[in-house]
Amino acid sequence: MVLQGYGYLLVFTLVCILVPSLALGLSWLLRPKAVGPGNFTTYESGCEPIGGAWIQFNIRYYMFALAFVIFDVETVFLYPWAVAFNQLGLFAFIEALIFIAILVLGLVYAWRKGALEWS
Amino acid sequence: MKLSQGVELVSLLVLTAMVVAAAMGVVLSPSIVYAAFLLGLVFLGIAGMYLLLNADFVAAAQVLIYVGAVNVLILFAIMLVNRRKVYREVKLGAVRQLVAIAVCVSLFALLLYTNLNTVWLLTPEVTALPSGIVTLGQHFFNEYLLPFELASVLLLVALIGAIILARREFVPDRGEENLELVERPKELVAVKEE
Repeated sequence: MVLQGYGYLLVFTLVCILVPSLALGLSWLLRPKAVGPGNFTTYESGCEPIGGAWIQFNIRYYMFALAFVIFDVETVFLYPWAVAFNQLGLFAFIEALIFIAILVLGLVYAWRKGALEWS
Repeated sequence: MKLSQGVELVSLLVLTAMVVAAAMGVVLSPSIVYAAFLLGLVFLGIAGMYLLLNADFVAAAQVLIYVGAVNVLILFAIMLVNRRKVYREVKLGAVRQLVAIAVCVSLFALLLYTNLNTVWLLTPEVTALPSGIVTLGQHFFNEYLLPFELASVLLLVALIGAIILARREFVPDRGEENLELVERPKELVAVKEE
């Protein structure tokens, strides 16, 4: 066997597949099967939806996606450091802090520029 | 066959079926949004295959980069440009289909040729390898320290550049209509966003 310690992952994956399929399947079995025009509307916090759900979204949301992608890539770099933390010692800790500090500069810039505001 | 090998084989089969089905869905789905979500499923399945090949860091990077970053960007790109347009098919008919078939068959033939002509080195007795992530971390903080720190500077440049481009501060003199191309017209904002 090649994989060590991934049994938990397998169990978690199975539970993750089981829970939503059970919830949806059971409710499909139990609910009354009434068909009306309300079945096909978009659910929006119980309010009447205005317009379609497939609209062109505001470009402002793109900034959140871009910031997320940057910090996502940062996670890839920090992941080996976090796993090997015990073997690496203080020097690597300081280096990782510098790494994070440089990226926090970007976050501060984004904040100051108002890229993180909804408005 | 031991239990662990059986689990591995079943996982591989399930993952393969999932990846193939989702990839077919990406190609065949008429809705581009469904295609994008199915593409995320394909990436997740490939990450699972990396795990089965004992490449745990590659699997983590696959989930973070492809499912996290690439797929999110694809979805956002769809959300930003998604307009219900009636697309007209290119009137080429048989020529288009012939070209598509030729490209697909030649790609498949190339893959098959490579598969049959490669000597696959199978080492059956791989037991309890040390995790490659620890080794990778040690290399990061010894001989590859400068590239590691430079990567953060690169990410910083990318972040600031993305903000500047998305805020359109450096729009060259094209006037207002350049903004209107990307920004959504106001009356469509009526759909609740809060």
